[in-house]
Amino acid sequence: MLEVKNLTKKFQSGDSTVTAASDISFSVPDGQFASVVGRSGSGKSTLLSLLGALDKPTSGSIVVGDNDVTKMGDHQLISYRGKSIGFVFQNYNLVPSLTALENVMLPMEFAKVPKPERMERAKALLAEVGLEPDQMDRKPGRLSGGQQQRVAIARALANKPKLILADEPTGNLDSATGKMIFDLLHELSRKEHTTIIVVTHDLEIAGKTDRTFKLEDGKLVK
Amino acid sequence: MNPISRGIRNAFRNSVRTTSIVLILGLSIGLSLTMLVAQKAVENKIKNVKSSIGNTITISPAGFNPGSQANNALTTSQLDKVAKLDHVSSVTETLNDRQSTTGSDMPSFGRFGSSDSSNSTTTSLSSPTKLNANGPGRFFVSGGGDSSAFANFTPPVSFLGTNNPGDVDGTTITLKSGKAISGSADANEALISGAMATKNSLSVGSTFTAYTATLTVAGIFSSDSQSAQNTVVLSLPALQRLSGQSSVVTSAVATVDSLDNLSSVTSAVKSSLGSNADVTSAEDQANETVKPLNSVKTVATFSLIGAVVAGAIIILLVMVMVVRERKREIGVVKAIGGSNARIMGEFMVESLTLAVAGAIIGLLIGVVGGQPVTKMLVDNSTSSQSTQFQGPGGRTFNIQEAPGGADTVERPVRIEGGFGQRFRQSTAVRGLSDIKAQIGWGILLDGFGAAVLIAVLGSALSAGMIARVRPSTVMRAE
Repeated sequence: MLEVKNLTKKFQSGDSTVTAASDISFSVPDGQFASVVGRSGSGKSTLLSLLGALDKPTSGSIVVGDNDVTKMGDHQLISYRGKSIGFVFQNYNLVPSLTALENVMLPMEFAKVPKPERMERAKALLAEVGLEPDQMDRKPGRLSGGQQQRVAIARALANKPKLILADEPTGNLDSATGKMIFDLLHELSRKEHTTIIVVTHDLEIAGKTDRTFKLEDGKLVK
Repeated sequence: MNPISRGIRNAFRNSVRTTSIVLILGLSIGLSLTMLVAQKAVENKIKNVKSSIGNTITISPAGFNPGSQANNALTTSQLDKVAKLDHVSSVTETLNDRQSTTGSDMPSFGRFGSSDSSNSTTTSLSSPTKLNANGPGRFFVSGGGDSSAFANFTPPVSFLGTNNPGDVDGTTITLKSGKAISGSADANEALISGAMATKNSLSVGSTFTAYTATLTVAGIFSSDSQSAQNTVVLSLPALQRLSGQSSVVTSAVATVDSLDNLSSVTSAVKSSLGSNADVTSAEDQANETVKPLNSVKTVATFSLIGAVVAGAIIILLVMVMVVRERKREIGVVKAIGGSNARIMGEFMVESLTLAVAGAIIGLLIGVVGGQPVTKMLVDNSTSSQSTQFQGPGGRTFNIQEAPGGADTVERPVRIEGGFGQRFRQSTAVRGLSDIKAQIGWGILLDGFGAAVLIAVLGSALSAGMIARVRPSTVMRAE
């Protein structure tokens, strides 16, 4: 269960204070596929940063399972991010100097998974997201956008996280590929019983998720 | 893939940039190594020069100049006082004179004392010295005299009166035949060189004339020194009597019982002789001589520091640029569980890889350039050094390295001002520019140490930048 209570995030911008997230509270049961929609600047990405422990809230709490993320120290957060959260970004954000296989193995290396085990799992995950064996040893620059996003999804699943956070995962893809990626996430959510929260502009995609949250000016309106 | 192999691979991500950086770093590290080699070589040379100095003090009459030739010689009685000073183990006293050969045109040479008998007397000996009009070792007569050649000129013969006849020009002579003479006995006995004996068809027991007296050859010695070959060695009292220079001594060398007492005895000798004498210890000579080496060492040290700092700045700027370029990537790695230490380690390995690659090129530059650069620095520094001596005859002796032979101990030396110069310098001092730059394991390790230092210094700022990259950076759209 993901439980968010009174989450607020304020930024200092020059002399003024910007409230990017204001008193947000919601909960998502395990294995649910949720979406967050809203216009640009509504605070979607800020909310995702806070949920993924990439940023610290000004106030409020985020509880994942039994862990209150907002009370964790920096070292705990590094470990938490590596083991409990999987990220999928709009720009894929793969490490360009590593092959597809090495990119998927990287979070497992940080989690100190033994090399043979991480190699085996990375290959299995890449096969699961539909990457051909000959594509596994290619660097991101030699993969299409859809293939890179598949690698990113495999990387997000590497440490069997409780929560996958996807920021506009289909934003840079054509509609057909975007649909394939979305379906892939949906399928994995069911299969792995992983909670997935997707930030999207696409209301059609949002309509297919189990639950949709709408943000306006940093406030949860739906 | 571990952080080390990732760091190494990252160093070669952009081959053009990596090549450029490695070449620039190679030049920087090469310059560092070259300067390190030069510094070590000069340090060793200074150490050698200082360790080779003798425990001797050279005493010569003060204030020789062509216009003041009289009444400034040292006397036996003055030197007797020196001999009685504490820690003085012996004093070698010498009187230098010369005789022109019979029938030779002779320029006027100055000498000590009021009488000038040697200018009016001649010797039956002929000098074994061969004059060469243009080659190294040719003689010049300067100091206001007529430098044109004399129509019937043959070199004069040097006469050395000494209380230590076993030593000529600071070199121990070896008797080939005959017997040694006593330095204190006033007898008309002489030692001559093998070359002089051959030139004049003399053997032990033969006689020749000088100072209107007949002298007997007591022994024949061998010597490689041209000036020693042209020197007739007599006892000090004999030459003083024959040349009419009673009690006159032109130079002396006091030997001190220990190097530790050299400085205090030098002061005591100066105090004893006052303004009558120029007193120079071997230590003073060595210090004076190594001055140019010290300046080379300073230049090398500052160049070394400059090159290391330049290398560190190059790496620092490169790594700052790289971190800025990869800020998003760093954010991604932090987002998926990478710690600051791990990411910094990767960048450190990348920086080290560049530095070590640069060090390999730098090492080649250091190996090839170390010796020539060291020699160039030392030669440039020492060629400007001109040592000026004043000696018997009231002439100034300017001793300079002759062009084209500056790298060996036995290099040609151009001597201006007269014959039979008596100056004492150790071999190490004379071979100042005979410097050997060697790259040993120590220097190699220092070179790699410098590369590591450059990498560590250069990546320090980037490490700080990495620590400040927030993982939320990854959420910002490009």
